[in-house]
Amino acid sequence: MSISTASAADSAVATNPPPPVRHNRRPRHAREWWLGALLVLPGMALAVTFKLVPLIRGVITSFESSSGFGDSSFAGWDNYTRMFDDPVVLASFRNALLVVATLPVWIVLPLVLAVLIHQRAPGWKFFRAVYFVPYTIAPIVVGIMFRQILSPDGPINALLRAVGLEPLAIEWLNGQNSALFSLVAVALWSFFGLGVMTYLAGLATIPEEVLEAAYLDGANFWRRLYSVVVPMLRPTVAYWSVLCASGVLIWLFPLIYALTQGGPGNATMLPEYLVFLTTFQFLDRGYGSAIGIALFVFVAVLSIFSVRHMFKEGTRKPR
Amino acid sequence: MFRRRLTGVLAAGVATAAMLAGCGGGGDAADGPVTLKVLTWEPGGSEYWQQVKTTFEASHQNIKLDLQSVPFDKYPEVQGPYITSQSGPDVMANNAGLELFDRRGAYVPLGDRAAEINKDLVTYSGACEGFDTSKACFGVPFSYQGNVLYFNKDVLRGAGLDPENPPATWDEFGAACEAIKNSGKTCLALGLSGTFPAYWDFPEIARNYLTEDDIRGLLAGTLSWKDPKLVQVLEKLAEITTKGWTNKNAPSITMLPDGADIFQRGDAAFAGTIISDAVNWEAFGKALGDDKLGVTRWPVINQSAPLAGKFSGIEGAVYGVTQWSEKKEAGLEFITWLAGKENGELWVKHAKGQPLNKNVDPALLPSSPAFKKIQEFVAEPTLHAGVMLSGPEADALARGWQQITLGQLTVDKWADQMQQALERSPTKKQGN
Repeated sequence: MSISTASAADSAVATNPPPPVRHNRRPRHAREWWLGALLVLPGMALAVTFKLVPLIRGVITSFESSSGFGDSSFAGWDNYTRMFDDPVVLASFRNALLVVATLPVWIVLPLVLAVLIHQRAPGWKFFRAVYFVPYTIAPIVVGIMFRQILSPDGPINALLRAVGLEPLAIEWLNGQNSALFSLVAVALWSFFGLGVMTYLAGLATIPEEVLEAAYLDGANFWRRLYSVVVPMLRPTVAYWSVLCASGVLIWLFPLIYALTQGGPGNATMLPEYLVFLTTFQFLDRGYGSAIGIALFVFVAVLSIFSVRHMFKEGTRKPR
Repeated sequence: MFRRRLTGVLAAGVATAAMLAGCGGGGDAADGPVTLKVLTWEPGGSEYWQQVKTTFEASHQNIKLDLQSVPFDKYPEVQGPYITSQSGPDVMANNAGLELFDRRGAYVPLGDRAAEINKDLVTYSGACEGFDTSKACFGVPFSYQGNVLYFNKDVLRGAGLDPENPPATWDEFGAACEAIKNSGKTCLALGLSGTFPAYWDFPEIARNYLTEDDIRGLLAGTLSWKDPKLVQVLEKLAEITTKGWTNKNAPSITMLPDGADIFQRGDAAFAGTIISDAVNWEAFGKALGDDKLGVTRWPVINQSAPLAGKFSGIEGAVYGVTQWSEKKEAGLEFITWLAGKENGELWVKHAKGQPLNKNVDPALLPSSPAFKKIQEFVAEPTLHAGVMLSGPEADALARGWQQITLGQLTVDKWADQMQQALERSPTKKQGN
């Protein structure tokens, strides 16, 4: 117990602080506001110049009809109505839906691998580096590389035949469905390292003792993953999901370009590649823009749900 | 303090921008040589283009060349924005045919200059509207292009065939392919990913069914793909792969370089490619040996067809002066020189290509037996049906051929798809 030596008057002063001196805070606030605005301005200018303006220009062009690189005329909704009768456009969006259907693999596989690395499974340092290496290879190089690897007499089929799995040695890039899923598998191989890194960053925020407690309570790997890691990693999972949902539809261009060029037939034709073909090969700018806008809407609709969910998760008050 | 710093930074930025702008405008100085910016994919290779630059500049002290080289498969992506923004190079390359006519708004019509250039060329129409020299022409070619069938004499010999008498008819070709397959080799090296093989091989079949008027109808978009003649062309094109004459991975590989590699490795008897610019007789001769390389016409299907024995020829890369160039005279000077004798001889010597200028010294022509044989073929030219295809048609031809090869499509459905592609083509829309 301590005994106060202060006088009663002093004590009264201590408990009743003098009224604060009224500073004029407005100029400081104004300065901060201007500083903030100046810092944000370059980003805003870049976003407007390189995102908003091209988007608006794309919308305008999608209502135009042109022949080659010549002058264009107003086409109304023609480019949009044409899409519903165009088998190539319909095939490209059907393929896009099939690609979107592979999203669970894109989300879960890197998570499992990240958790294995995080809990220092044997060889974790080696795998942490190895998983990320494919992401550092230019996609166009990945495409050229896998064109050889997946050829009928390529190393994958040679390996399958060598281990007695001859029936599995198919023509990976020639089949109607195998070509698309081979393409997605190559993309996954190329990009999942980024997912592993993203999850590892998220896992670093989970207190060690929580995972240790689950381990001591006898929870196995999958139980820890499902009941501890996933709930605590929701914002990271949501972030990666949004990135994947939009990414699988706009990341694949260089791989399609190098690997299949949309073929065989239209088996690997995706809207983003069709935009390129229509605009630069067929020189149909208006129609190419209309397909591009349709893809934008498709990706936006897909992303909105994830972004809203992510926002809710991010702003949810802790219980 | 902050405001002063900000003002300083802005002032420095404006000064730097002004300095950079000043640096960029040096090529058009009134008292110095004019610098022509040339967009090219360097047909014939970079060594040849270095020679073009050195030789042209030596004889034209007042003009400098600034070559912007772009890989062929990236060319439209670079050229398109220049055209849409009406800015950029003073001279640009294009392939003749529809590819040029889709972009003709970017080029200055040559007017009377076309006739002046034309007088020394073996042939000159692919850069003129409708392949008609009496109409507007938009560029100048200097090389001659077209398709032949190269063969490896050793592979033919190994299959018990006479390399001095390669198959001349469709039936003989089929029989030869059977013999070659039995010897363990591929008959025809092919890569179907991309449009090249489709539009290279299509005219070789089409000559057996179409007249020159039909080919012009194809260009104008008035010949239907449901027309029995075109359906027959598709049927024969389909046979190339469905009869097993090609390597089985053809649908998923490119012709250049993958298909050509199969031939250059000595694993295939035949390869159908071009006579100039890219992988040609010179590259194959280097890989296999000139003495082992043979060249022949594509096998004839209908001996009585008027164009069956002709060569589907087309000018190679065409160079035109851009509408927005402020150095049009210098640009015209350069492209006229490109079509001239001096460049024709550089083309033969350094690019080993087939020249278009008839005054090229014959002593400079390569001594390769394959090249000499090609001289016989090109002497009987006709229109090249492949370059009459619009972008959507060329794409549908290539994709349809892939699907036919994989058994996913019938020829009738293929013809339907081709007709849909024709109707989608912005260039061939009737009424344009």
